Order: sequence, then structure tokens, then C-alpha cells
Amino acid sequence: MVFDLPAPPVAVASVSAALTTTKVEVTSDYHGQKIVLYGAVFNLTDRPADVVVVVRGPDQPVRIARKVQVTGLWLNSRPVVFQGAPGFYTVASSRPLSEIADYGTLRRLAIGVDHLAFNTPADGVVETRFGVKDLVVSRLGSDYLDYRRAVVRIKHAAGLYDQNERGVTYVDKGLFRAEIDLPTSAPIGRYQAEIHLFQEGREVQVRQRPLEVRKVGIERTIYLFAHQRPWAYGFLAVLLAIGSGYGASVIFRRS
Amino acid sequence: MDVYLPIAEVSVNAPLLIGLGMVVGFISGLFGIGGGFLMAPVLVFMGIPPAVAVASQANHVVASSASSVFAYGRKRAVDFRMGAVLAAGGAVGSLIGVEIFRMLRLMGQGDLVVSLSYLIFLGVIGGLMLTESLGSLLRRRRGEPPEVVKDRRPAWLYGLPLKMKFPRSRLYISVIPPVLIGVFVGILSAVMGVGGGFVLVPAMVYLLRMPAGVVVGTSLFQIIITTSLVTILQAGRNQTVDLMLATLLLFGGVIGAQLGARASARFRAEELRVVLAVIVLLVGLQMGLGVFVTPADPFVLAPGMGG
Repeated sequence: MVFDLPAPPVAVASVSAALTTTKVEVTSDYHGQKIVLYGAVFNLTDRPADVVVVVRGPDQPVRIARKVQVTGLWLNSRPVVFQGAPGFYTVASSRPLSEIADYGTLRRLAIGVDHLAFNTPADGVVETRFGVKDLVVSRLGSDYLDYRRAVVRIKHAAGLYDQNERGVTYVDKGLFRAEIDLPTSAPIGRYQAEIHLFQEGREVQVRQRPLEVRKVGIERTIYLFAHQRPWAYGFLAVLLAIGSGYGASVIFRRS
Repeated sequence: MDVYLPIAEVSVNAPLLIGLGMVVGFISGLFGIGGGFLMAPVLVFMGIPPAVAVASQANHVVASSASSVFAYGRKRAVDFRMGAVLAAGGAVGSLIGVEIFRMLRLMGQGDLVVSLSYLIFLGVIGGLMLTESLGSLLRRRRGEPPEVVKDRRPAWLYGLPLKMKFPRSRLYISVIPPVLIGVFVGILSAVMGVGGGFVLVPAMVYLLRMPAGVVVGTSLFQIIITTSLVTILQAGRNQTVDLMLATLLLFGGVIGAQLGARASARFRAEELRVVLAVIVLLVGLQMGLGVFVTPADPFVLAPGMGG
């Protein structure tokens, strides 16, 4: 009887995916871009599989301050720096993340805006809390969560952070697609699309697809000039301004 | 027709920017101010990062001021010597101001200082100009003789050492007051991201008692020098000058400035000053009152690193 059972499945569920665009070119009429990801789930088991698509942009440190009222004036308190916050982050799935995997798994994989692994190293203090040793606790104490949520809220309002529980749609059995909206303000640089496959709350496979957002043409020329030869760039800007001012005054004197 | 700005990294409507440049250029040519205090808030409202807005509009101010200075210069309405003295003080002041502003930004108080300086300086100057110009306008309406202007210049202008002749302004005064005014304006322009014309014009009229005919041209000449310096410093140190943005703005700006310089001949000085006072007051209140209003979101992103 025992020998009739099939061998335990090793990786009978797998996923593969591709981006329809791997290079986003930022030109003068750039408006942000919609990127479509197609993929297929090969699931030979009878256990359901879930796909979670995560797109991360390059890290951008965030400085955030809280406004506090002092004698009628709203002042900024000392800003807090969050390191490791991605400049762009979006999660797409076909049902709520909490149904796909538990809190600990999501946190470990940094899936979901609440589980993004950004922190404030400059302000961290190591202490023992709740019997857990070497726990890094922020200077902000219990306010830490408020700050964290504020970063997510502000980035979400700018279209830079998103979490969409209906973002992965199935076109056909096993064939899915996800759309990622890059806003104009999404940072330039290398992005990574991660396609996670979950089964029974465990990650069974993850695939990565690179994505690059870069400036091309005149945008790139200006950007590089401004950063590589900043002083010459400044002089050129002033010459251009004085020249056009002179030009306009000559034209208007004649007319 | 939207256009992507390579340094600001946002996409904005190009005709709108040209129009904005033109309106601000017109006001600039009309009143002899750089117009930065009008431009910067609008650009920030359009979603351009404040650091880029302030640095790029400085370049627009260079262009529109240059456009009108060439026009005023031909009418011999620029005191180049006075402008150079003011600008020398302005250069020192803007270096000090850039350092002050950098420290304030690191403390996260950049926003507050900008708002408060807009409120205080624009409020006080706008208020003073409004009462003064409305007063003389009303007296003329009632047919009363204009208030006898005390032509005696204050003694301190003459008592100080280092005297210098300013033939265009028909002045023979110490260089210390103009240099100090220049330093003060330089600090303000670095902190508020403006050329400082709205401080300079009243200072030249009421403190230095320069003849009205040369005030506007001289103010603009000084503004060209300080804003050129600001543009180069900002580009060199912070890479925050967006040539695409500046070009769109200055295209409208130089045209607007020419129209403004022409229009200025058609209005009475008092009427012009009433309008300018109202604009200055409104912008000051709009920028400054934000400090007293309970914010919708108690958290703000503090600029100064990366984006």
C-alpha cells in the first residue's frame, strides 16, 4: 500500500512571467507608463497557488517631519530619515495578501506596503524588550508606526506606493496578467519585478525580471550635463538667459 | 501639450509655463522687481520640487531682468555704479544666506522660515506701500496739493565715511548704506529664493532717496547680478537648475518684460504702487498663513536629501 503513493512533490507548481516592456524611455513627452506583466502558473498539484507580483524601484532615502503646534504656529519637528525605502513599490495579487500568507512570511519577504523593510538606522537603539534581545528600537518609540504609516500614505498619494488586491487577473486557466502604473514622478533607475508563487501560505518559487527606467535624447543630455559639468551648465544657463533678454530687447526696439 | 522636465522629473504643461513666464515677466518689467516671489509659489503649486523651482526661476529672473535692463539702459535710466555697489553687498549676503538656509533645512525648519519671511517681509512692505500710495492717490483725487516731500536726505547718509559719487542718481553718499542693503537683500534672496526687488525698490526710494527715474532700472540691474550668481551656485552645488523649465519660463518672460517696460510709461507711479502693494500683500498672506492653519496631514516630507 505504501508503495502506491506517488513520490512527494518537489516543485510541481512553478511560475514563469515576462514584462511586455523592459526598458522605459523617458522622453520630453513622458507621462508615466503602464507596464504589463504576463505569466503562467504550472500547477500539477491539487493545491491552489497564488501569484503575488512585487515591483520595486531604486531606494530613495526619505526625510519626514511631523508638524507640531507651538504657540499657535505649526512647526516641523526634527526630521527623521528612513533608509532603504524604495522610490517606487507596488504589490499586485488576486486576493488579499493576508489570505495568501501569514504576517511573519509577508514580513520576512517584505511583501506589502506594511512590511517594507525600511528603518531609521541613525536613530535606532538596541535594547531588550518583551524578553527579546538585541531588538532595534527607534528613538521615536511608539511614534515610529505613525511615521512609517505617514511615509506610506504620502508615497501612496503620489502614486508611488500601491497595493492592489485585484491587480493580478487570470486571462485563462493558469495564465495571468498584472498591470503596473509608473507615474511620471517614479524615479529613474533599475527596477526589479518579483513574481512570487505561494501555496498553502508558503513561498514555493520566486522569479525576478529586471526593468529599467532611463532618460533618453535631450532629457538625458541635459541631465548628464547638469550632473557631470555642473558649473559649466550654470554658466551656460546664465548666458542663455542674458542672451535671450538682449535678443528680446533688440527685437522689440525695432518693432 | 505636456513636457517632461529632466531635472525636476515631473511633466508639466508647456504653454502654461510660457504663459506664467510672460505674466511674471510683465509684472517684472512694469515694477522693476524680479518677480521671483510670484513665480516660486506657483511653480511649487504645479508640483515642481521647491529646490528646482527656486533655482530655475532664478534663471528666468536673469532673462526677464536683462530684457528690461537693456530697454531701461537705452533710456539712461540705470545707475550702473549704484547697482554694482548693491550687487557687491548682495553677493556677500547670498553666500551667507545659502549657508543659513542649508542649516535651517537640515533642522527641518526651511519651510517655516520661508513662510514666515514671506509673511513678514511681504506683509510689512506691502502694507507700507499700500498706505503710502493710497494716501497720495486720495489726496490727488480730493484735489489737495501733494504732501510736501521732505527733500532733505537723512543726515546719516552723509555722515558716514567712504563717500562715493553716483552721478546718475545725483548722489554723493557713503557706500556703507547701499552695501548693507545689498547684504540684507542677498540673504533674503537666498532664503526666499527671490531676486529681492520688492525690498530693493522701497529701500532705494525711501532710504537712499534715489530719483524715481533710475530706481527701477538700477534695481533690475542689481537683480541680474545676484540671480546670475544664484543660478551658477545652485547649478554648481545642488544641480537643481532645470534648463528645460528655465527655457520655457524665460521664453515667455523676456516678451512679457518688454511689454511691461512699455506699459510702465502709461501708468501713474502711485497707481502702479497701489497695484504692486496689493499683489505683494496677497502673496505674503497666502504664503504665510499656512503656518497658522492646522495642516491636513501632520506629516511632511522634508526636502534636502535625494529627492
